[in-house]
Amino acid sequence: MNLDNRKYLLYALVIGTGFFYLLRLFYMQVVDDSWTRRATEIAEKRREIIPPRGVLVDRKNRKIVINKISYNLMVVEERIKHLDTSSFAKLIGWDVKKVKARFKEIIKNEGVYKNPSTGKTQSNYRKDRPYPFVKDLTLEEVTRIASRLTDFPGFYEEPTGTRFYPYPNGANILGYMNEVGRKEIEADAFYRPGMNIGRSGLERSYESILRGKKGVRYIVTSATNNEIEPYADKKFDTVATPSPKIKLGIDIKLQQYGEELMKNKKGCIVAIEPKTGEILTMVSAPCYDPNLLAGRKNIRKNYPGLITDENLPLFARPLQAEYPPGSIFKLLQALICLQEKEITPNTGFPCNKSVVGCHDHPSPSSVAKAVQYSCNPYFYAAVRRVIQPNKKKNVFEDAEIGLNNWHKYMMAFGLGTKLGVDIDTLAQRKGLIPNSSYYDKYLGHHQWAFSTIRSISIGQGEIKLTPIQMANIAVIMANRGWYYTPHFVKSIGKKGKLKTYRTKHITPINRKHFDAVVEGMRRVVYEAGGTGKEAKIENFVVCGKTGTVQNGKNKKNHSVFIAFAPMDNPKIALAVFVENAGAGGAWAAPIAGLILDKYLNKKVTNKEKEQTIKNANLMSSY
Amino acid sequence: MRDTRGLISKVDLPLLIGILTLMFLGILTVYSVAYNPEHPSLFDTSQKYGKQILWIGVSLFLGFLILLIEADVYRKFAEYIYIVTLLLLVIVLFMPPVHGAKAWLGIGGLGIQPAEFAKISTALMLAKWVDETNIKLQNTRTISETLGIILLPCILVALQPDAGTLLVFTSFFFVLYREGISFDPIVLSLLRYFPRLKFKTTWLGTHFVPFFFFLLILAFLSLFLSSSTFYPFGISLSGPLFLIVIITLVAFIFLAFILFFGYPRNKSKNLIVLVSSYVFSLFLVSSITFIFNNLAAPHQKSRIELVLGLKEDPNGADYNRNRAMAAVGSGKFLGKGFRKASVSSMRTNHVPESETDFIFCPFAEEWGFLGNLFLISLYLFILFRIFSIAERQRSVFFRVYAYCVGMVLFYHFAINIGMNIGFAPVIGIPLPFMSYGGSSMMAFTIMVFVLLKLDSQRRDVLR
Repeated sequence: MNLDNRKYLLYALVIGTGFFYLLRLFYMQVVDDSWTRRATEIAEKRREIIPPRGVLVDRKNRKIVINKISYNLMVVEERIKHLDTSSFAKLIGWDVKKVKARFKEIIKNEGVYKNPSTGKTQSNYRKDRPYPFVKDLTLEEVTRIASRLTDFPGFYEEPTGTRFYPYPNGANILGYMNEVGRKEIEADAFYRPGMNIGRSGLERSYESILRGKKGVRYIVTSATNNEIEPYADKKFDTVATPSPKIKLGIDIKLQQYGEELMKNKKGCIVAIEPKTGEILTMVSAPCYDPNLLAGRKNIRKNYPGLITDENLPLFARPLQAEYPPGSIFKLLQALICLQEKEITPNTGFPCNKSVVGCHDHPSPSSVAKAVQYSCNPYFYAAVRRVIQPNKKKNVFEDAEIGLNNWHKYMMAFGLGTKLGVDIDTLAQRKGLIPNSSYYDKYLGHHQWAFSTIRSISIGQGEIKLTPIQMANIAVIMANRGWYYTPHFVKSIGKKGKLKTYRTKHITPINRKHFDAVVEGMRRVVYEAGGTGKEAKIENFVVCGKTGTVQNGKNKKNHSVFIAFAPMDNPKIALAVFVENAGAGGAWAAPIAGLILDKYLNKKVTNKEKEQTIKNANLMSSY
Repeated sequence: MRDTRGLISKVDLPLLIGILTLMFLGILTVYSVAYNPEHPSLFDTSQKYGKQILWIGVSLFLGFLILLIEADVYRKFAEYIYIVTLLLLVIVLFMPPVHGAKAWLGIGGLGIQPAEFAKISTALMLAKWVDETNIKLQNTRTISETLGIILLPCILVALQPDAGTLLVFTSFFFVLYREGISFDPIVLSLLRYFPRLKFKTTWLGTHFVPFFFFLLILAFLSLFLSSSTFYPFGISLSGPLFLIVIITLVAFIFLAFILFFGYPRNKSKNLIVLVSSYVFSLFLVSSITFIFNNLAAPHQKSRIELVLGLKEDPNGADYNRNRAMAAVGSGKFLGKGFRKASVSSMRTNHVPESETDFIFCPFAEEWGFLGNLFLISLYLFILFRIFSIAERQRSVFFRVYAYCVGMVLFYHFAINIGMNIGFAPVIGIPLPFMSYGGSSMMAFTIMVFVLLKLDSQRRDVLR
């Protein structure tokens, strides 16, 4: 037997193996891409960098919304390997007992929720999910701990940014944030589960600016998911761009003062800088500390209470509540009558109480005096001329033409329509200014005339305004005929305000007609028989108008006051609305006076009045 | 004692250079994989690369000492070396286990694995036995005695347990086959139970070793391919069917050889062997596939599937294989470059043991297919060099030992690289001269230097 030939079997075995291995390697490394993809999946990760959310400052650059950055030490139970409890406890500065107790606590408490269908509390704790082990670590603490976390697989640090409000005010303006929903994640690639989104207020309307632009980092990660080094020398990385600083027109100190005055009352204060349309203050009472809804934990704790509170603290009254304006509406009526040449500044009407109720005062001999006395019969007579212009013989057809003409004026004052404040439009109401089709719907076509709808002449009946619209009337009076849409954001970074808020709205009322009405507003505050004397302040001439809004039977009237000051070159225009408080002069006017004093004189002289207002509790009357 | 210069000049330089190249590639890869920026020096012995250099230095020093010892010593003391190794393998069983295996002998961090050295002593013992018995390995007694030499360390290694080394010991059967071992007596004695069949020799008994391995590989392949589908030329074929097609094609090639090139004298014999092998192969493939798919219990099935890497379980039992293959595959044609391995680097630690058993992984990831072409060619070169050294020996002792070295190295090469590319199950055995580790480095170096020494003195030995 020739054994020599047997060596060829061994040679063939070696050659064959080498050949097949090379063939296989060629397939794996050159032909087939799937292993490369798998490697990318394993070792290279795309990490998104989310910039810190934009900061909001008030008109005097006081920070009013900032981010409180803290770190959570997260734990994923599944990834823990041979945990050395004692050295881990030492690292985080706890004792071993506390560490063990915390593990039990997490399993017992985290992820526990009340099942809405069964009403039982259940836990959806899972070993593969991250849970915060230590919450709210400071940067110093986390830097010390993080460097040693590689010894403790299963633990990692995670920054959490929550909003923080140095001033506990303006909650209804600023809004709150909450976790994004599934639909929002699907609709916008920016969002990932666990991220927050603005839910109301400015947080919602400026969400796309405040969130900034995400950056992306590609990194090489280890088997324990730790970052090892940047991938491809950062070639594909992009930088995150944080939101520019957003400056508001709000004066947070004035806002704070307004909220103090409105404590234990229901209603609003809206103050606007007439020249710019910037909202200085928007108080909605009752309100809440915005910090109550900062962070998920707080939301979980406080939201149910706030949403079920019968006084509706989450309800942004200045934008969402619609009230009849009462007598402040007479200012606009006077302007329309003057513009339509139905009256002159010196037209007088007798105070004829047989037509419509009024209080005791001399019959006004001019527009100014009619405003001063807030004479109901005067405006009844004057507005009648506008609504019934005698253009048609048929009184119904005539009223239709007259009302629609009047409606056109009212629309130009920003009434009966959403003003377009830069808080998301869903949260704004239109108010109601009826036109012919409105009455046709309820009363029938040509079934109504002025006598049917006469209460609109004194701002009652169907008329409804939001408090911000009332404040805007004060702006129009202050500017003698024009306004910018009221807005909160003064500037975004180095860019100014949005174009919408740089467009002047000019009312169709001639400038000269304002003098008589504004003189009337001055008389309201300064002349005998004026209803708004409580709004008087030192150093500046205040022009105002009270309103006492009838509010159905058995209910106290709403107290309204709108004003601007000083009379020439006005710096501030405002509306104060106090629900069910009584006469406009009794509550709204003194509050307005305090606000004007605070804003214009920088300090309040009448401390007694201030204390009375602050201490007043009207909550029992609701 | 001869002078050193004469000593070196007689050493087979191509083999020595081949081994040194592998060692160099090993250091390079360990440095890349275990690189610690705080200890950037290659010679920092607190790091794995520094230690590896230390191991290589010690190993080469031992190799040099071996060259100084007379070749005859190895033959003289083969059985004593063998017995001492066996004793060590027994002692090691009473040692505390490391990673679940009682394989380490030593104190603290320093230790050796006797199993690595058992390969050398068994090879020496086997060589001496085959040489000195001077008989043909063709009667039942000598066959069983020869098998005993291999089985004794096998049993001890299996008790550790160390499946890898156990598997490597089977490489000696190929050497014995080369030396003419025939299992004919056993086959014939079995055939006595069939009185009608009368043979002087059987093909099966004569070529039992390659035949048995062929069956094993075929069985492995039919399991390995049982749940995959192939698309040669656009036709969809299940794995076993594909295997049958391949077997048929190979059978036709053999048929052509027999008909046109074979000795006419052997034609009928060869045809019988071919046809019976073919039928038997088909039977084996189909029965294994059938048993696996229909009769095996689900848990057995999934275990087999996992061992063979058929089941995708990237984060579970199949973790290492999946990560290793991703690392190798992502190297592409040119590789990611030195110290650029992102999957198999120890810093990322996706591939465990990437500096020891899985060292091929970072090498393939960093140097790509081109690097692999070089590495595999280098291994083939070394193996063939060893075979040619074996064939030029006049002494049976030298030749058997040389073939043992060649086959042990081949087994390590084939299994280690095979598990990185999904051709072999994950079995922990080192890649010769490259994997980090003192015992294996020393064992392989000693093994090859004994061969170099024997070869350098081949002319002094008369048969």
